[in-house]
Amino acid sequence: MRIVRLIARDELRLMLRNRVALIAFALIVLLTLVAVASSWSHQRGVAELRERHQHEAEHAFDAQPDRHPHRMVHYGHFIFRPLSPLAAFDPGVDAFTGNSMFLEGHRQNSANFGDVRQSSLLIRFGQLTPAFVLQIVAPLLLIFLGFGSLARETERGTLRLLMLQGASRRQVVAGKLLALGGVALAAAAPAILGLLVIAGQPGALGLPLLVIALGYLLYLGLWVVLILLVSAWVRRSRDALLVLVALWAVTTVLLPRAVPDLASGTVPLQNRLQTDVAIGRDLRRMGDSHNPDDPHFAQFKQALLDRYHVKRVEDLPVNYKGLLALEGERLTSELFDRYAAQSFAAQARQNGLVNAAGLFSPAIALRGLSMAAAGTDFAAHRRFLEQAELYRYALVQRLNRMQAEDVSYADDTATDAGADRRKRIGGAHWRAIPDFHFVAPTDATLARAALPGLVILSLWLIAALALLGLATRRLGAHR
Amino acid sequence: MTLWRHELRLLLRQRLSVLALALLALLTVAALGTGMAEVARQRAAIAAIPSAQAEDIGAVADYVVRTRDAGSAAYYSFHATWDAPAPLAFAALGMRDVAPYILRVRALGLEAQIYDGDTFNPEVALPGRFDFAFVLVFLAPLFVIALFHDLVSGEREAGRQRMLDALPRGGAALRRRRTGLRLILLWAALGLPFAVAALVEGVAIGIVLLVLGVIVAYLLFWIGLAALVGRLRWSSVANAATLAAAWLVLVLIVPTLGNVVIDRAIPVGQGAEIALAQREVVNHAWDIPREATMRRFYATHPELADSPPLGSDFHYKWYLAFHQNGDESVAPKVRAYRAALERRDRAGRAFGWVLPSVGVQALLTRLARTDLTAQLAYQDRIRAFHARLRSFYYGYVFYDSPFGRDEFRRAPRFDDRAGG
Repeated sequence: MRIVRLIARDELRLMLRNRVALIAFALIVLLTLVAVASSWSHQRGVAELRERHQHEAEHAFDAQPDRHPHRMVHYGHFIFRPLSPLAAFDPGVDAFTGNSMFLEGHRQNSANFGDVRQSSLLIRFGQLTPAFVLQIVAPLLLIFLGFGSLARETERGTLRLLMLQGASRRQVVAGKLLALGGVALAAAAPAILGLLVIAGQPGALGLPLLVIALGYLLYLGLWVVLILLVSAWVRRSRDALLVLVALWAVTTVLLPRAVPDLASGTVPLQNRLQTDVAIGRDLRRMGDSHNPDDPHFAQFKQALLDRYHVKRVEDLPVNYKGLLALEGERLTSELFDRYAAQSFAAQARQNGLVNAAGLFSPAIALRGLSMAAAGTDFAAHRRFLEQAELYRYALVQRLNRMQAEDVSYADDTATDAGADRRKRIGGAHWRAIPDFHFVAPTDATLARAALPGLVILSLWLIAALALLGLATRRLGAHR
Repeated sequence: MTLWRHELRLLLRQRLSVLALALLALLTVAALGTGMAEVARQRAAIAAIPSAQAEDIGAVADYVVRTRDAGSAAYYSFHATWDAPAPLAFAALGMRDVAPYILRVRALGLEAQIYDGDTFNPEVALPGRFDFAFVLVFLAPLFVIALFHDLVSGEREAGRQRMLDALPRGGAALRRRRTGLRLILLWAALGLPFAVAALVEGVAIGIVLLVLGVIVAYLLFWIGLAALVGRLRWSSVANAATLAAAWLVLVLIVPTLGNVVIDRAIPVGQGAEIALAQREVVNHAWDIPREATMRRFYATHPELADSPPLGSDFHYKWYLAFHQNGDESVAPKVRAYRAALERRDRAGRAFGWVLPSVGVQALLTRLARTDLTAQLAYQDRIRAFHARLRSFYYGYVFYDSPFGRDEFRRAPRFDDRAGG
């Protein structure tokens, strides 16, 4: 162990003497601090803005005057997606998804005003966040610091000297691992510290935080092992550097872009126009409330008349128009749910393909893990969309029920001068409707979603360690 | 010429160089392939619009012809608009994955419709697209680094430098030959597949030549950087590390920093505020005298003021009028929002003048008409088309003219080329 420590200390001393390495290290620490600060303040700003907009929208809804309930169905409601506290560490898809949604009757609107459509083209180069620094920049720094650690010793023949002095190959490799691992920890420290600061916020979660920290440590540890592996395997340091930079470029830059493109080519998504037209088609088939001879609605009407033992809809104790609205909304929402589920399933299949590619690129595995634990991945956005739809349906049906129960059919169909006044019900009704509250996923849900990524990273690490063990045995041997 | 041939033979004997060039050509072809496939998908989606629309509008017509009510026709008819990809779009997909290229609108308030998005998978969009622009901007510099980092230092380390300098037509001429040869090969690996793809896609020759020129210029920038680093007379390893670090900074870090700076320096009033404000005005109309709405509407549309007055019944002219009033009430907000977007976009492109990576990306997306400018131009076409829709329907609704199947056929059709 003493020898291992000695070798590690020697390696670190060498790095300290390398001015370029020092500058690079200082730069990455600085970059991380900038990333933590800017990402955090951005997240706070966005969260505050959305909260303010949400309050304004709720206030506006509650402040609506006496109205016909159907007017409120069209007045609708605006809701804003709250930002997960860990988004300051890894904002994931937040900038790429719309964050406000208009909820109204008969229609399912898209989430609009995502940052990606409101930013300069620079946003497509990536976003400066602690996650970006650790996923992409940190491995390259480690490569620069470690590519020569073993290749240099074999190239210059100093390995033989070390071994003559009684150090075994295992001890040499272990010492270098210790040194580079220490550097990796030091490089990750500011980001982890930032993570802890972010975790100090109310609502930040314990278990996902732990999973994220573990994931990034595994990832950087993996790079340390990979660097030593290549450095042990390749005889010249220049070749080691080129191989490592190529490996880095392929796994962290090329594959994370190319694989999603392949996945989206493999699993097509239906666009909105086709979905809307298909929903319209299905709706006409199921029941067309505009068509007086429509069998579904004729049956619906007859069943109602039978139930209340009356002959005409005018004699029903409830407002027939409200009941029609309830039934119409039920039919359309059923279709919305079915088509949304299809689209979500297709997108989940695309993401499944991408995540499987984590077997070829640890960066993909880490990205998935990080977004999932931070609650900023597609699944998180989907959670929001699904809760939004549930809320929309409940809101619209509640208003439709008000029309059925609180507005009489006679008033609802009247067209005389005073009819407008009689159709309206009190504004207190709107205030009684509960506000939208996003139910955040539990710690366990987030952590569980990150599990596959953790497993893949662990597999990578085990495989890399096994290979390093092999490479160690023949370290310095002539081919 | 023989000297060049010798150099070529030398170069082709290096496994690393051949591998690098082949890989670059392969990546270029793959990126062109995915770009062309994506553009083909988008064209197919646009080509599928008419049949879907015919079905949808047919169903609306079936319903409306019973009453021949123009207001119902205006209310229920969704009209398709689309933004066909430009010939060069396959090379730089730009924003076409996150902004809609098909949008249906009806003659109601446009501000509640124009910001709608299409279905896309955010996790797929997040890392950016694998297109030709990506290969050129992000990956090509790495290949330059692989081929150029040891151009001089390699000879020095092999102990041949002095001898080469002493040779006739050695020294600087030799370096020029080697640089030229590598440049040509890299350019061919990128440019030839691109040119073939561009000709297949029908890109104008002028633009193809321009892009080929951009490729050379961008390669020259990185070659120049490699030469500069080479002058420091460091070892090949140090050169490679320095160049890779420069790549990281110029292609990844500075643009992300720039994004933070631009976001801070140029705040964009949230588009959501437009939607919120428009909704208030539109819905408020139900709570004020209808005459007030009509007065306000006729003030900006005097040509319709001679239409028959409102009765006590619901009339679509009033409904359409307050929707238009809603749009007009947020017009200043819309202008401010758009101006801010354009300022951000300009700032981003201004970065391109100092940062070649951003500059090439900006230029390619501009030529391919896939940037924000193109998005806003599409929105302008939608606005123009929407104005035509309004005036078409108003002609019937305001004067209570019957609306039958002929009128459905006569409704304005979006024209992609003629500005809506």
